Formats: sequence, structure tokens, C-alpha cells
Amino acid sequence: MSALGTLDFKNVKKQYHVKGETLDVLDGINLHIKPGEFVSIVGSSGCGKSTLLRLAIGLDDDYQGDILLDGARIKGTSLKRGIVFQEHRLFPWLTVEQNVGLALENSTLSSNERAKTIAEHLELVGLKGFEKAYPYQLSGGMSQRVAIARGLVNRPEILLLDEPFGALDALTRANLQNELQRIWQTEGITMILVTHDVEEAVLLGDRVVIMEPRPGRIKRTVEVDVPHPRQRADLRLAAIKDDVLSEFGHEHDTALQPAAEGFGFKDYLFAW
Amino acid sequence: MSTAITLNQSDIPAEVSAKRPSQWRQKTGQKLQQILWALVLPLLVLGLWQITSAHEWVSPQILPPPSLVWQTLTELWQSGDLTSNLQISVERVAYGFGVGTVVGLLLGALMGLSKTVEAYLFPTFKALSQIPALGWIPLLIMVVGIGESMKILVIAKAALVPVTVNTLQGIRNIPPQFAEVAKVYRFNTRQLLAKVVIPAALPSLFTGIRYGLTHAWLALVTVELLASSEGIGFLMVWGRQLFQLDLVLATVVIIGAVGLLIDQSLQWLETHFLKWRRVAF
Repeated sequence: MSALGTLDFKNVKKQYHVKGETLDVLDGINLHIKPGEFVSIVGSSGCGKSTLLRLAIGLDDDYQGDILLDGARIKGTSLKRGIVFQEHRLFPWLTVEQNVGLALENSTLSSNERAKTIAEHLELVGLKGFEKAYPYQLSGGMSQRVAIARGLVNRPEILLLDEPFGALDALTRANLQNELQRIWQTEGITMILVTHDVEEAVLLGDRVVIMEPRPGRIKRTVEVDVPHPRQRADLRLAAIKDDVLSEFGHEHDTALQPAAEGFGFKDYLFAW
Repeated sequence: MSTAITLNQSDIPAEVSAKRPSQWRQKTGQKLQQILWALVLPLLVLGLWQITSAHEWVSPQILPPPSLVWQTLTELWQSGDLTSNLQISVERVAYGFGVGTVVGLLLGALMGLSKTVEAYLFPTFKALSQIPALGWIPLLIMVVGIGESMKILVIAKAALVPVTVNTLQGIRNIPPQFAEVAKVYRFNTRQLLAKVVIPAALPSLFTGIRYGLTHAWLALVTVELLASSEGIGFLMVWGRQLFQLDLVLATVVIIGAVGLLIDQSLQWLETHFLKWRRVAF
């Protein structure tokens, strides 16, 4: 079986035009992602990592260079590419299962098959029994689980995760990171995780891509040669984490702390 | 970390589990208390009114005692005058409100969905909506006469304004994030409208319709006061012309009560249709 889910970034450049000025957001991005690979992208705010995902999902077509999925240049959004946003973006007027079903609106499955796959994916994310609950009844972590189920339910070749656990408390986040590792192993699809949490990036990624800002470029790529499933306390991971953190130099004290990610003007521009 | 997933007890919000009867009783108690608080002021006014007329501080011809107003109300009811006039008024409101709501929803939706349509229509709409019902009546009498169509048009206009504005706002305020979700799953226009725009704008549409109906009821009274020979507003003018202040006060009570009933029933409908909006209990 030819493996699907190869994503290639070739010389990707992205500019924003603000009040007559040109801002380079991304420049010379070259990245090859293999089928079934888990790639983490880390960087401080404003390094264009979320913009990169927006281009890859197809919500923004205004860029130079090429982004290829299995060799074909991506154009607009596609059911082959799924995404989990930082905010869960569940529709408050729909129940959990209806929200997951949104992803299947344009699928060719029969209604029986739909119901079955929705149930399977809710079970996969550990929400069996919450099918009929409304988003207001769910905690932040549960909502993000639903969003992950929605991202996976139509079996995309690649799942993009845009700081999916950024807004969660530390315990829920650790819990969901383990879940995501398990889901990725079960589903075997390509995943790209954008995060500002180095520990998360190293724990989950086969590779960690480190980005630097102004303009957003790839600084270095670090292989994480530790077999899955990984333990958080693994010493090899700790060493790699230190290595990655060293790339940020003195910066990592401030720029990498989630709390320091304030909502400045630039964040509004470049976030999602 | 084991691969089997179990949710912590604390992970499950309390409201998912069944409500205990004691909670239910507490809520009913709270509601009852609210109703009691709401009744304090009307009862005080009624008491003051009773005392004023009992001591004849004001001439009974100007301020009839509550008992007389109550007697007039029962007589109106028994003679059938109340029902027949109220029926005419309710029909006028129903037609006018119906027309105003349909046009308002269409107008608001068009302006909400298209910036171009909004640019063309909204300034004119805004200017025209500033003119009160009273201002339209003389003009409309000249154009369509003093008949039913004039009254329905005035009521329709009154309902149209809040319905249009709230529909427009409701659509404009849909978070762009939701539209992006729709784009990711490749919704076509029909899906976008049915699955995102309409449900997301629904709370605002409801608000518009509620205001629309209240405004329609107010416009009805105005139009019947000025140009009618039947209806609840006419009954009020009739009372004033005969200097029967008890009749005037009786109609005031009826108009207020019907208005309150309309608003409350719509509010009830709103909470029942938009259950998902309950953020926390």
C-alpha cells in the first residue's frame, strides 16, 4: 500500500501587508513530512508557526512556494486534511455527537456508517456516554477531546494540531498528551503539532522543528529517537528537551512560557 | 500511563448527572420569590390608589376607585365588548406583526449576509426607522386610506425595525472561527446557512421577534387611538371622550396585561427552544 499523508513544504514564503508595509511572516520554509510521522513545531509567539498550519489546512491561499500533499499542490481546504484549533470551536447549539458529525456532512458514508464511526471516535477519545451532552456541560479538556474526535472522524490523511492544549490546565494537558500519543499510534496518520511547550513537543514528536521569528524560519530540526509509547520521565527525553531549549538561549525564560504569551497586536495578526 | 481511559469523577460536570429533587425545589422557591418581589410595587400603587380615592384626595371623576374600575372590567367582559374589541386588535397585531417579521427577517438576512446590500440599504433604513408610528399615520392615510391596510402597515413597520436590526446584528456577530470550521469541512452555501448561520443567529432573531411583537402591540394602541372605530385602543378613546375614566383605566390594565403576557410567552418559548444557551446553572 502506497503510504498517504506525505506533506512537503517547498520554499514557502508568506507576507502580510499592513498599512502599506510588508511584513515577512514566513520565509524559506522547507520541510518534508513522512506518512505516519508525528512532527512537532515549536517557537516563540510570532514566529509564524500557526500561520504555517493555516496555510497547510488551506484557510489562507495567499503565499509563495508550494505546499504539497502526496505530491499535489494543496488548494483550499480538503477533507484529506483535518485540524484541531487551540479553542475547541464546538458549535454550542449541537450535541457532542452532532458536533463530531459536522466533519461528515460532506462524506459519502451512509447514515448508519456515520453513526457507527462517530460512536467509535467518541470512544477513542474517551467520551462514550457523553454523546447527547451539549458543549456548555463539558469541561475544557472534554471539549478539546470532542474537537480531536471531530478532526479524526472523517479519516484525514493528515491531522494538524494548532496548540490544542494551550488553554488547558497542566493536569488535563498532561492527560490529553498521553491520549494523543495513544490515538496517533492507533490511527497511524500523519500529525503536525504546533506548540510553544517544548516538553510537549519532545514527548510527542518523532522530530521537533524549531522556528525563529522575524521572519519565521526553521532554525533547526531535532530528531527524537525514542520509541513510542514514551514515558514523560524518560531521561533521554529530558536531554533532548534541554537541547531544544538551548536553541532559545536566554529567550526561553520569557518567550517560551505560556504565561508570557500575552495578546499583543502581533498575536491577533498571526494567531490562527 | 495505561491505554485504557477512565474519566476522573471530577472531570464530569455536576449538571450532567440527574438533578436532585431538593435542587428542583430550591429553584421553584427562587422563582416564587421573584414573582413576589415583582408584585410589591404594583400592590403598593394599588394601595395608594385605594387610599387616595377612599379619602377623595382626587375627585372620583378624575380618579375612579379601584372597585369601580374592576366593576367596569367585569361589565366589559360580560357584555362581550371586551372580547370583540380585543379580538379585532389581536387580529390587527397578528397581520401587522406577521408582515413586519417576514420582511424584517428577509431584510436583516440580506444585509447581514452581504456588505454590499447593507451599504445600499442600511443608511436609508436607519433614517426611516427613526420616524415614529405617529409620523407615518397622516401620510399613510393619504396614500392607502384610513382602513385596515393603513393600520396593518403602521404595525408592520413597528415590528420590522427591531426584527431587521437584530437579524442583521445576529448574523454579523457570528464568530469567524465558526465560519472557518465550516470551510474546513467544505460546507456549501446551503450547509453554511442551515448548520452555522441560522442556529448561530437564532438567539438574536428571537430577541428581535420579541421586541418586534412588543413594538407591534404599542403601535396598535397608537394607531387605534388616532384612527379607529373599534379595537382596544378605540375603547380607550371612547372612554376619554365620554369622560369615563374608569373605562380608560380598565383599558390601560388590559393593554398592559396583554403586553406582559405576549412578552412572557415569547420569553418562555425562547428558553425552551434555545436550551443550549444555558451557560451555567
